Amino acid sequence: MKKSNFKKMLVLVLSFAMVLAFTACGGGGGGDEGGSGGSGDGKSITLFNSKSEIQEDFENLAKVYEEQTGVHVEVYYSQDTVSAHLATKYASKAPYTINMVDAKDIYSLGKQYGADMSDMAWVGDTDYAISVDDKVLGFPTCIECRGILYNEAAIKGALGEDFDPASIKTLDDFKAMCDKLVAAGMDAPTAILGPDWSLAAHYLQQVYEEREDPEAFVQSLYKGEADLMSDAKFNALMDTFDVLKEYNQFKTQGSNAEDELVHQAMSEGKDAFQFGGCWEWNDLLTYDYNGPVGIMPVPQNLEDDYTGKLVGGGAKYFYVDGSEYTSEADQEAGKAFLEWLASSDEGKTFVSDTCGMVSPFKSNTVPCTNDIGKVVKEYVDAGLLVPNYDYDPDDHYSKLGIEMKKYLDNACTREELAKAIQDYWASTTPVEH
Amino acid sequence: MKRNTLSYKVKQYLMFGGVGTALFCAVVIVPFIYGIYLTFTSWDGVSPNKPFVGIANYVAAFADHDYWLAMGRTVIYSVFSVVLINVLAFALAYLVTSGVKGQNFFRAGFFIPNLIGGIVLGYVWKFVFNRAFVAIGTAIAGHDVPSLLASPNGAMFCLILASVWQYAGYMMLIYVAGFMSVSDSLKEAAMIDGCTPSQAMRNVTIPLMRSSFVQCIFLSITRCFVVYDVNLSLTKGDPYGQSIMAAMHVYNTAFTYKNYGMGQAEALILFIVCAVIGITQVMVGKKGEVEA
Repeated sequence: MKKSNFKKMLVLVLSFAMVLAFTACGGGGGGDEGGSGGSGDGKSITLFNSKSEIQEDFENLAKVYEEQTGVHVEVYYSQDTVSAHLATKYASKAPYTINMVDAKDIYSLGKQYGADMSDMAWVGDTDYAISVDDKVLGFPTCIECRGILYNEAAIKGALGEDFDPASIKTLDDFKAMCDKLVAAGMDAPTAILGPDWSLAAHYLQQVYEEREDPEAFVQSLYKGEADLMSDAKFNALMDTFDVLKEYNQFKTQGSNAEDELVHQAMSEGKDAFQFGGCWEWNDLLTYDYNGPVGIMPVPQNLEDDYTGKLVGGGAKYFYVDGSEYTSEADQEAGKAFLEWLASSDEGKTFVSDTCGMVSPFKSNTVPCTNDIGKVVKEYVDAGLLVPNYDYDPDDHYSKLGIEMKKYLDNACTREELAKAIQDYWASTTPVEH
Repeated sequence: MKRNTLSYKVKQYLMFGGVGTALFCAVVIVPFIYGIYLTFTSWDGVSPNKPFVGIANYVAAFADHDYWLAMGRTVIYSVFSVVLINVLAFALAYLVTSGVKGQNFFRAGFFIPNLIGGIVLGYVWKFVFNRAFVAIGTAIAGHDVPSLLASPNGAMFCLILASVWQYAGYMMLIYVAGFMSVSDSLKEAAMIDGCTPSQAMRNVTIPLMRSSFVQCIFLSITRCFVVYDVNLSLTKGDPYGQSIMAAMHVYNTAFTYKNYGMGQAEALILFIVCAVIGITQVMVGKKGEVEA
């Protein structure tokens, strides 16, 4: 009998040990993936940062915040797709208190889970907050713009004269500059990033954005009514893309060119132009940076209201989780942190100086330390921005990215590309927004 | 205490297998059943609502042209990989059991690629294909040459090569165990009876190693069918999505395109295909097994 009791005890202990081991696996904190919700009393909250390059800076900022307010902010990041990662957090009923997502996620995730921030003071200080159903749900972290990056030092080194980006107004100007650079000894003055997000979500996206009513145009694509081959904007942008292709330093590798090599070439001045945006600043600094590198609008042989403007706007939005899994106190603590980020000197310095981002807040006058960001800031201040279109279907960038890659590699004609784009839109269920 | 009563048997089972069964249910059976339930919903992976849609996801999955293309690609990749992995593993096992000098060192050496995770391995090979081979090719040809990864067939070849390199060493160990389980006296007897070494290998050693073949082929088939890590880090589906394998398509559908229900349905179809092929192969293989 005693023996049997011992066995029972043993089974119980073993089961318990197993359960403990499993809970230990499931819980636990740490700098990267994992993590859970806040403490519930507003004294300790969690923040998901999807810009991994500023993770360390964010952790340092959280320490400063804790010293000032006593509220602990645990900063997490993940290399996983943002929506996939947050899905696992909601599935485990332990979402982060504050979540950094892309603008389009605010319309899906934020709409379902975001807390209303309409009464926060920062809302009046920016033009880039995202509202859904009359509730302010998205807090912009920065402004990001797309255009042609240029390396001033590389151009000056080749031509022996200062480069004035304002002198490149049309595609003809741009082509003439490329020819000049080639004549001066720069074999291939341009480069194109190969990933689908750059080709489809950034370059092709301009076809929808640079027009009076992007929504109407996208709707006409959904209905199968738009004819891209007769569309002036599509052709103008593709003409520019052809020129970028013609002088591409990585022509042989095409869409398979590694991002690192493309960034290195721009950073070190081995080429002069590359389609990109201000978020590439950190990538450029990884190499032997020989700048300054700036940004200018994509030159086109089409004079319209968008000539001389960069495409972009608010980016990397925070929403505070307003679901049942986050207590009222934690939600308030999350909102207070964002208010501090927007209005305190430490927050402003963090955004513009430490991270080199362009602040979306008017009251932030701290100079931006990012060479590309400085130029973007000038465009922002001058009101020369074409707004982003944020309502693409989720598979847009990957499916049309494939088509753009084919076009980059000369594996399809412009007619075939146009047809593929039209077919994609016509066969896709419209995104509700 | 009576030993043939049901309650006694249940207690005995729970004593020895209770914890394992509970854990197995918790981490395999329950998620599996819940996964099947999700295939009948149009859940986006995030929303608290999981609208029931019946068999719509299965209808959509069977009509998903890209999925079946990915499945076809996976079959081609698996056929080549499984054959090459096993031929190479068998040859390596023969080599390292034939008494060559330093055979233990070789065993360890061939096994090492298996210790490198698929993601890291993919990045290592990507570097080799994109930089090293391109540099060598450029030096030989005298002009820039494209990477193997830039063409659909080249990318498939790269995937197969990396997988063979990864798994051959692991399968080699199973074949080594198979070789060592065949008694030398049987081979000697065959030789005395007039067999040449190759005849002894074909008629004595290989039939007695049948269980090793069954295991290795089963393991390589199941692993190749659900390949994801190497696919992600080496090609990421490029060029033009023509190296997207079934598992990557499932992931994209479920997580990137936020179509979780349909992704789950496609995953279940992949599981069934994989299970049917794997089990058929094991059953056919086991049938002809011989005992020494």
